[in-house]
Order: sequence, then C-alpha cells, then structure tokens
Amino acid sequence: MSDVQVDKLENEIRKLLGAEGVRQPRGREAMAARIIAEPRDSDEIAALVRQCEAGPTTLAPLGAARTLGEIRRAPAMLGVSLARMDRIVAYEPEDLTVIAEAGMTLGALNQRLAEHGQRLPLDPCNPGATTLGALIGASQAGPLRLSEGTPRDLLIGVRFVGHEGRTVHGGGRVVKNVAGYDLMKVMTGSFGTLGIITEAAFKLRPIPEGYTLGLAPFARAAEGFDTALKLHDALPLVHVEVLSPALAARFGHPGAFLLLAAIAGNAVELEDQRGYFSGLAGASFSDGAGAVETYERLRDLELAPTAGLASTSMMTAQLATAPAELARCVEDTGAQFRAHAACGIAQIFIGGELDSATARETLARWRIAAHAAHGHLRLLAAAPGLRPHLDFFDEPPAGALKLMRRLKAAFDPAGVFNPGCFVGGI
Amino acid sequence: MLGSAASRRRRFCAPFIIDRTGAHGKSAPRVSANAGSAHRIHIGAIVLQWLAVESLAATPQFAAQLPALAAELAEIVGADAIVARASELAVYECDGWTIAKRAPDLLVLPRTTAHVSAVLAALERRGVAFVPRGAGTGLSGGCLPLNAPVMVCTSRMNHVVAYDLANRRIEVESGVVNINVTNAVKAADYFYAPDPSSQAACTIGGNIAENSGGPHTLKYGVTTNHVLGVELVLAGGEVVELGGPADERLGYDLLGAVVGAEGTCGIVTRATLRLLREPQAHRTLLGIFADVERATAAVTAIIAAGIIPAAIEMMDQLIIRAVEAAFKVGFPADAGAVLIVEIDGLEAGLGERARRIARIATDAGAVEVKLARDEAERALLWKARKRAFGAVGRLAPNYATQDGVVPRTRLPDILRVITMLSRHYNLAIGNVFHAGDGNIHPIVLYDERDPDQVRRAIEVGREILKACVEMGGSLTGEHGIGVEKQQEMPLLFAPEDLIVMSELRRVFDPAGHANPNKVIPQPGGCVEVAAPRRQAPL
Repeated sequence: MSDVQVDKLENEIRKLLGAEGVRQPRGREAMAARIIAEPRDSDEIAALVRQCEAGPTTLAPLGAARTLGEIRRAPAMLGVSLARMDRIVAYEPEDLTVIAEAGMTLGALNQRLAEHGQRLPLDPCNPGATTLGALIGASQAGPLRLSEGTPRDLLIGVRFVGHEGRTVHGGGRVVKNVAGYDLMKVMTGSFGTLGIITEAAFKLRPIPEGYTLGLAPFARAAEGFDTALKLHDALPLVHVEVLSPALAARFGHPGAFLLLAAIAGNAVELEDQRGYFSGLAGASFSDGAGAVETYERLRDLELAPTAGLASTSMMTAQLATAPAELARCVEDTGAQFRAHAACGIAQIFIGGELDSATARETLARWRIAAHAAHGHLRLLAAAPGLRPHLDFFDEPPAGALKLMRRLKAAFDPAGVFNPGCFVGGI
Repeated sequence: MLGSAASRRRRFCAPFIIDRTGAHGKSAPRVSANAGSAHRIHIGAIVLQWLAVESLAATPQFAAQLPALAAELAEIVGADAIVARASELAVYECDGWTIAKRAPDLLVLPRTTAHVSAVLAALERRGVAFVPRGAGTGLSGGCLPLNAPVMVCTSRMNHVVAYDLANRRIEVESGVVNINVTNAVKAADYFYAPDPSSQAACTIGGNIAENSGGPHTLKYGVTTNHVLGVELVLAGGEVVELGGPADERLGYDLLGAVVGAEGTCGIVTRATLRLLREPQAHRTLLGIFADVERATAAVTAIIAAGIIPAAIEMMDQLIIRAVEAAFKVGFPADAGAVLIVEIDGLEAGLGERARRIARIATDAGAVEVKLARDEAERALLWKARKRAFGAVGRLAPNYATQDGVVPRTRLPDILRVITMLSRHYNLAIGNVFHAGDGNIHPIVLYDERDPDQVRRAIEVGREILKACVEMGGSLTGEHGIGVEKQQEMPLLFAPEDLIVMSELRRVFDPAGHANPNKVIPQPGGCVEVAAPRRQAPL
C-alpha cells in the first residue's frame, strides 16, 4: 500500500468518523496497521466495515496492539481501536455477571469488580494492556486457567460487527443458556478474522477469601512436572506453574526448575492444604499481600524482551498437549519455558540474536516435539525480521481446515477481516 | 432429490392439523397433514406449525424408493439394525416433548462410525435428510423427524473406548449413557460433571447435541465445558475430528459450535470428555422455607457472600407434595419451598462453609436448615430432586416441563409471573429448578384429552418464556430450542443474528440434511424471521 493510498484511506475515515476518529499508528501499532480508526460505537464500526468491504481494504481489530503487533508479517491497512469503547454496559454484582464494551481492558474491569469482591478470573500477562476484545479474539488465559478455565468457559454473550456492517449477537447475560448457535465459541480465538467484537458478557467468580502460594525448586524439570501433577491430583489447586531456570532466577531460584503452586479457600482449608506442601524439600510459602505480589509477577512474566521493529532477536511459542505429555514435550524442545503444568500448556522461548535459518530450524524442532506429544504449537511472537520465514500456526487436520475455510467464507465473504495471518492462511 | 425446494416449502405452509381419529384414552393426538375431515383440531398457536410438514413417505417419489433405501442401508448395517415396520417405529415418534409426535419412516441403528459414514453417504446420494437420536430423552422435540424420513439412532454405539486418568480424559462412543461415563472411572475417584436429571438414560451424543446441564453445573459448567474433542460425521459421510487431547483449540473452535447445535451439524460418533477428581467430601443441606420469596432471597445471599456451591436446587409447594408422596423424604407438607444446597471440596473447610450457609439461609427466613447426616440421606435428597418430574406424573395425566432462564436476582419476579399465569390459564404449575443458575423449570400440568388444556398449556409456556426474555433471560437453559421454541427465537434474536447462525450451520451442512427444520425458524417458510428489529439484550 503506497503512502498515497494510506493518505486517501485516512481522509475517507476522517469523513466517516471525524478528525478525532483517525490517527497514525504509535510504536508497536505500526506492525499491526497502517492507519488507526477509533470509532465511538458499533454504528461507526459498521460504517468502517462497509467502507472497507467496498474498497476492499483490510481491517483488523487492534486490541492494545499486543497480539497482532506480534504476529503480523505486514500490517493490515486499517486497525480498529476500541479505545473509546471501554465502558461497563451492565454490572449486577448479585448475578455475578458483567457486560462490557470490548475496548475496556481486563485490568480496568477487574478493578471495578474487585470493589464487590468479584473478578473475571482470566489472567493473561499484563491485564492492564489487554482489552476484552483481544482477550477473546486471541483466547488468552494465564495460570488461573487450571481452576477457572479460559475465555470460552466464561464468555456468555458476545456482540460483533461483521459482513456488511451487520451487528450480530449470540448468547446473553445469563450463566446458562443454550438458545441458538454458540457464536461465543466461534468468536473466541478467531483472531479478528470473522468480525470486530464490540461487547462481551462474562460470568464472574468471587475472589477467594485467602490465597497461599508455595514455591519449591527442583534440580530437574521432570521432577517439577511430576510434583505438579501429584499436587494437582491431591488438592484443588488454583494454579500450578513450572518455570525453567532463566525465569526461576527472577524469583530468587537461579539454576533451578521452580514450581509455583497455589491454594485458596478459608483459613481452615488453607491450613489443611499447607500440610501437603510441607513435605516438599526446600518449599517456602507466602500468604496475603506478599503472595498476591508474587502471583502478579508470575502472571506478568515477560518471557523474552520485546523486540524493536527491526530486531531479529526473539521467538516465543505456545505448546498445547495432554497434561501428562507436557514435561517430555517441553524437554524435547530444549527451550526455556513457563508451563501451566497441569493444563498441558507451556510457553517456550528463545532469546538472543537469531538468523532466519536458525529460527526456522528451532521452530521445526519445537513442532516435532509438539506433534510427537499429539499436541500442537503456535507462535505467540517473533521478531519482525524473522516473521516472513516462519509459520505462526500449525495446520489443522484437512477435514477441520476445510470447515474453517467455509466458516471464514461465510462470515467474511469480502475477505477483509484480518486476512492471511490465521491457520491455513485464513 | 425428493421434490424441489419450492414444493417442500409449500408443504411447510400446510395448515396444522391434529388427527384425533386414532386417539383413545391417554394416547396422544397424532399430527398429520392428511388427517381427513374427522375431528380436526386447529391448534391456534403457530408453535406447532412445523408439524404441518407432510411426511415424506406420503409423497409417491419417496414411498417408491423406501424399500430400495431400506435394502441399501441393510447392506451397510445389517438387517437387524433397520427398523421399517410402523408398529416398531412408533416407539420413536417423540422424545420427552410429547406434545407432538411423528414416527420416522425408517430407523437405522449403526454400531460403528464406518456404519454412520456409509449410511449418511447413501442418504446423501438419494438427497434424503436424517435426524440423529440418542436415548430420546430430549425435552424440546429435537429428534422429531421433520422432513427427515430416516432416523439414525446411536444407542448401539455404547462402548467406552478408553480412559486416561493421568490426563483426566475418557473417550466414549456417543451412545454411551451419561451415568456410565462416571461409572467407568468412579472406582478411581473420578467423575464426569454434567449430570442432567435423565442421566441414567440419556446419551453423551444427546448431551453434546443439547449442551446439557444438570444440578451441578452451577460450579462445574455444562457439557461444552467438558468436551475436549469429537468425531463428527457430516451429512454426506465425511468423518472429521474436531478438538483433540490438548485443552486449546487449533484454529476456529468448531467443536464449540457443534456442542449445542442440536444435531444440525452432523452426527457425533465419538467424544473425548474431561474427567474431574471426585471431591474429598460433600455437605448437602436442606433448607425449608415458608415461601419461594424467602428461598430465592437465600439463594441470592449465599452467592453474594462469595460462596459458589456445587448445586442450589429449589422446589415449590406443589412439587414438594408430589415428591413427598412418592419418596417420603421428610419434607414438611406445609413447606412453601425447599432448597437443596450442596457444597464440595476439602473435608477441612466444609464444616465452616456449611455453617455459614445455614446462617445465611436462616437470616433469609428459613424455617429450618438440616444437614444430610450421611450418604444415604444425601442420596435420598438427590433422588427426590432428580425424580421430581416423574413424581409430578401422579398429579395430572400429562405435564410439560418448561425450561427458561432469568438473571438470578430476577427469580422472585419470574416466580410471581408464573403464579399469575397459572391462575390466568387455570392450569397448575409446579416449580423445580436450578436456582443458582437462574434456570427455571415450571412444570405445567394438563390433560391432553382436553384440547383446550393442550392449547392453554402451550400458551402458558410461551408466556413464561416471553417473561424470561423480558427480564434479560433466555428461552432455554439446557433443553434446547428443538421444535418447541423455534417460534420464540425472534424474541431473543434479531434477524441478523438468526441469519448468521444459519450461515454457521450451513458451514457444516450446506444442503440442510442434518436434522432439518430445527432451532432456527426458516426464512421462506410460513414463519419468517423478520420480527420487528430490536436490540436484543446481551
């Protein structure tokens, strides 16, 4: 797209949304989109979609530019930021449900909910910079997924703007609902390829009365994973993570594989469960504010330093396997990692300068390990210089991929919604 | 092809008629478009308009090819797996929604995925639609054959394939009965969480089609939260694997779209399910209240206190009396409402939590709160709850179980509306429901021998659902839309929503041969989706 075309698009968007509705990308946004639109409501998004389909001009929901900015090879023409759509639409604490606009961040939402002792228990890295749209679109979750699930488990209603600018909704605001097809599942993890999510309803959970975090170092990864699964079998854990030495060092355990397991409940329950932990060699505990502070550092672990736009210096991927296969799989990759050990999910990474051949070989090795464990892998982030050489997603089985292509064609016949960076080139 | 799309559409528009010429005693009215002149009853409600679809067997083209089709399918599955005799097919004329009945023209009982695939391929070659069926315990007419002459029943595909306790997974054929999943792993202290009241009969395939719930879904979630992967046979016979052993999707979450699609995406033949560790201990409390208002206030107060029990179930006076007569649980006959509250987890913390719940319930006005003393008492309470529907059978010749949802805080409002409607329509209505989820199950008592009562039963159900939607709720929490609630879909969804849902369905089944005419009111038929445009409540 030439600069002239970009200027033309900017003018068109300005006509639609006014001067305050359009701007140049800032920082990492430049990898996500050439021009940023900031609509005020779904009618304005609908107008944008119609404009883009007439172009055709590619458009992508921007989130906080964290997801797409990390995975796009070339920016979409138009990034749709929901920064001005960040309100709570309805919150009834006694119903334990909330409806919010998709531009609200998870951090801001949880701050409001905490006033009533509640939370949306999804905890990807840096919730203050994760919009609800991105949370759903990229199906993000963190350590709490063990006990609370992932966005697909908590999203009970969704509204999005799709083909021809039509506003579509699925589900509702009640926690149990089987009326109609489950559009929430379809939109979750769809990476902006089917439409722009504008509003979401979630079921909430109470914040537990007490939280105790136990840390235990291990000399070998296998011991850490083995212990994690044994604890998971014995206790209703809130989360159980295993970190490789590069990350364990940030928690004062250099050179070790570090297990971080948490329990929650009332005082009696916490006391009872600590008994199980105390058999672990070298285990230490924290409660209260100290435990929460450590948990937040765990949640927000930056796996590899954020790369500059011209950098070729990092690659991060997510492995998904059956839980008992994860330890071997992670070891087979030889990478540094952070594992949601009992969920079968690990983020693995490699830092330092990488040339494209090394990056390709490394990724191929990771994929072999994932597939050997009957799992799959997707790249979460790669330095921009490496992206043209890497496949971000595994290819789904042929039968499923055929259905996925049909789904994309049905929801986005004009092919304008964030094309080219999802599975199978969708 | 069996007639053009246009001619099929015309058949949809035939007037709805119930043929009562064959109805004796308690047998139900039969639905037919060719009922003749004797004793026609036009049920005014458009609710049942779909049943005006003429049986395909009645069309000369199809009647002519039926024997050849039966022979071809018998080649695939064996003659013992085909049912073609009308007297035997009558068993399959309805599910748990008995207001309308029609038997399929042909029933197939495959034993393997290969059978299902070959059967669907043969049907596709002839342009014949099919309806999947599990145990037939559905409550919304989801497996009523409408324009789908062949029924494919998964009941013989009832094997547990393998379980993997290290990974907390179990792979089963879709005809496995729900309770048998837990039975397979109970000895090792694992269980499968979704526990619909029909769990001793309903199949996993049916649970997947309906996204079934149950009392314990308050804490543990519904079927969709516990299915990791399925093997799905599409119309035409192609077998696809969706999901897998990992708890993360690769690409679009098509699995999530199939669960709850009411069999309109194809036939699920196998499923990988998530198992949970049996909690160390349970506490089950029975709260007795003078009225439902106080009982619902207790529910809200328990949740507001930050306690998520495994289940909170409520029964009102009418149900209490029926249950007491059937099971002698010890409910006081004058109780206005009872709550069954179950918590589970570590033994250590449960005592304190149970005392807290008891205090909250007492503060909310409970006359008495009792703790089940042992497993036998707990089992009796759950038996009473899960068989409440059956117990109601003593009170009237027929009952229709409704299924609606309201935000939990609106429970007192919806119960008031139901009381009012009960008086207005002069039909007794009992309530037994999942209070923690706001998922109500009004049970409307009627006598199907009286056509006016049938009409009123249908209308009162519709009014209750309307009220649920107006309160920000939903048409169904766990029973599905099926045939029963198609006409109400526009109350909840705008035309755009329904169009997009139809597009989603066509992704799996472009020709519309998998369980046709369900869930979504069909554009082009009598029932247009063009309801007045309104912003549906999220």
